Amino acid sequence: MRRPPGRGITDLVERLLTVAEVYAPVERDQSVVFDRIESAREAAIDRGPAALSPKNLVFPRCEMLLSSSTRGDESGRAPDPGPGGPRVLFGVRPCDARAIALLDRILGGGEKTDSYYIRRRESLVVISIGCTESLETCFCETTGGGPRSTEGSDILLEDLGDRCEASIITEKGVWLAGQIGLEHDPAGARTPRGPAPPAGPAADLAELKKRLDRSFEDQCWRDIALKCIGCGVCTFLCPACHCFDVIDEETAGVRVRSRIWDSCQFPAFTEQASGYNPRPSAAERFRQRVMHKFSYCIERYGMPGCVGCGRCVSRCPVNLDIRTVTASFLGDGGEP
Amino acid sequence: MEASAIVRTVRERAAELLASGRVDLVIGFEQGSMPMRAAPCFVSDADGTDRLVWNSFCGVNLARFLRGRHGRIAVVAKACDTRALVELIKENQLCRTDMVVIGVPCAGMVDSAAVEEITGHAGITGVEEADGRLLLTAGGSPVSLPREDVLCRSCRRCSTRNPVICDIAVGERAPEPEIPGFLDVDQFAALPSEERRTRIEAEMKRCIRCNACRNVCPMCYCVRCFADDAFPQWVGRGGDPGSVMSFHLVRALHLAGRCVECGACERACPTGVDLGILNRRMSADVYRHFGYRPGMAPEIPSPLSTFSPGDPEDFMLEPDRGRSCGCGG
Amino acid sequence: MTTGENPSTAGWEPGIVAFLCNWCSYAGADSAGVGRHQYPSSVRIIRVPCAGRISPFFIISAFLEGADGVLVSGCHPGDCHYTSGNLIARRRFILLKSLLEHAGVEEGRLWFTWVSASEGGRFAAVVDTVTKRVRALGPASCLRRRFI
Repeated sequence: MRRPPGRGITDLVERLLTVAEVYAPVERDQSVVFDRIESAREAAIDRGPAALSPKNLVFPRCEMLLSSSTRGDESGRAPDPGPGGPRVLFGVRPCDARAIALLDRILGGGEKTDSYYIRRRESLVVISIGCTESLETCFCETTGGGPRSTEGSDILLEDLGDRCEASIITEKGVWLAGQIGLEHDPAGARTPRGPAPPAGPAADLAELKKRLDRSFEDQCWRDIALKCIGCGVCTFLCPACHCFDVIDEETAGVRVRSRIWDSCQFPAFTEQASGYNPRPSAAERFRQRVMHKFSYCIERYGMPGCVGCGRCVSRCPVNLDIRTVTASFLGDGGEP
Repeated sequence: MEASAIVRTVRERAAELLASGRVDLVIGFEQGSMPMRAAPCFVSDADGTDRLVWNSFCGVNLARFLRGRHGRIAVVAKACDTRALVELIKENQLCRTDMVVIGVPCAGMVDSAAVEEITGHAGITGVEEADGRLLLTAGGSPVSLPREDVLCRSCRRCSTRNPVICDIAVGERAPEPEIPGFLDVDQFAALPSEERRTRIEAEMKRCIRCNACRNVCPMCYCVRCFADDAFPQWVGRGGDPGSVMSFHLVRALHLAGRCVECGACERACPTGVDLGILNRRMSADVYRHFGYRPGMAPEIPSPLSTFSPGDPEDFMLEPDRGRSCGCGG
Repeated sequence: MTTGENPSTAGWEPGIVAFLCNWCSYAGADSAGVGRHQYPSSVRIIRVPCAGRISPFFIISAFLEGADGVLVSGCHPGDCHYTSGNLIARRRFILLKSLLEHAGVEEGRLWFTWVSASEGGRFAAVVDTVTKRVRALGPASCLRRRFI
């Protein structure tokens, strides 16, 4: 059984609530999701990993980009001005924080930045809690992370019961820590309660990438994807998946352009106006998901597009386990 | 018959079918990548039949996987799988003569999410079944749960435990409970309209439009789903709650008289939306108005592809009466 | 169609979408005009080839786009131009009505009836009844599309 968060954590949340909007795992209709909390009691830190990842906070499932009126006047709705003051994302697992680091590289870094993402991201401070146990679906270490990975976190906490130790990682973290009087524990002093749990063996990501690149045309994808039903569970639950579509809708005199999550597993994702689809079957679509995560993302952003949170493993309706798939490529024969 | 004996028989029969060339493919379940998971598997070689398993986690409806495949196919099917097959045959989606049904009696499937809930999400590293109990290793310690307590919602109200169509019967017939009726539907219907709306909207609010319910459903096979239509666009793809609700309403209507209540959609839903809240209403109405239970009899036509002159009409407006009686609502 | 933007405005009139079959009910509405039967101006008529052509989408779309009520009318049983389109539709309608009301669309927003080509008076009476009931319910909100 999971232990409840220590007093150190709840005290900290109370202090955070006095300086910022706090988003934390909360229980809603028997499942845990990230939502705004008003008191430390609401935070469900001990209720297991959140069913939905926190990416909704920086990359909502549906986000209005602009709106206008069909009446030719100014009665159309203005775009959502976005968050005002600082927001704290509290109590994420290091894997979820690491996914935000990836989104930062994709949507918030480099030459092309996404202003909608940045608007939400800039005001967000991420406080993660180091994992003290791993679930049967966890595989963060396989993807280069770990139960105490600091990537993407502004502050990483270690729950020591009556108090918690904090590693303050970024400028934002320093600022927030100053606001609430949180002291930095030198990294060396971070003494996890018990040893860090293993969360799958570290995979040789470079070797995996090499073998995947070699297997693009391989028949194996057909066999792997045989049972895939082509739903979007894996991609919608993924904290790192970031593909979207832009849609225009209109009703009662208001036109709205929105950005919505899209999934490479849907046939319409690549279907062209002519009807031609370059990824005609589940095999090509599933291959895209694996290649994007373990080849293209590494190539472009220097880290895999998978952080090993295990949501897709846990919730795939047909148990199409991405760990099994990547392991098959790393198997002895080199080819699955 | 013991579960292990069922597995053995399934493997033997599957191997015989493949070796003799009677079928080209066997669709069944294999052990998943972790405890409490069984995954659909496709075996085309007699040597591969050792992969086949049968346990309390074979919840996916395998009828979903037969369409669009060439050759003769054997399918390891529980009762609700065969009910879906019956409907698919009726709708000319499958050909009875091209399939071999290896029918397995079913005592209901276990909801792994419910087990995880009870065990507090402590890592489950092992599961065995004996005498109607699940023997789990959760967080390193043994936990024993009665199967009855963790059955899927759809399985609790299921009264069809044995395959409806079957070529090779495996195991002894399972005892079948009385048809439990539609108590849940009636209780819900007794609530005030406003409360029903609030409850259903709360369910729909959790929907993330991943389409898992639709894609896992054996009866959802439209080449292009209305929800994917852009011209005309019937339901919006954005966050509009009316569109989300409409998607599920129209899906429930499309499944009326066809839904075999296997519960695959509910098990597939990553956010635990109670889809039965709509589908059960349709099942109750179809049974009460037209006396039809989907998937039970290959020779009875689908209720919505036919009519009877005496069909109920008291729901309709007679201006002289001034009002309808609101039948069914 | 009603905007329903300010339901508290006195004199609010509902917007009701009426799907009428080409052969009977649409002609029935014509008869109502020819016979000078008065009926409320709240209905917006959409002519369809047959009651059997009416997909649940049409009705749900009407509610999505802001209708306060929907009326569907076809030929009386036995009169269908296509023999049995109305009877097949009748089975669909009972389920649709039940499902929408189950989900919280108030009873009294969705109506089905039969009106023949000669029943102008009946058509006016139907529209009158439906309008009164929908007016009493006020603007519909259950399925109405709104951007969030």
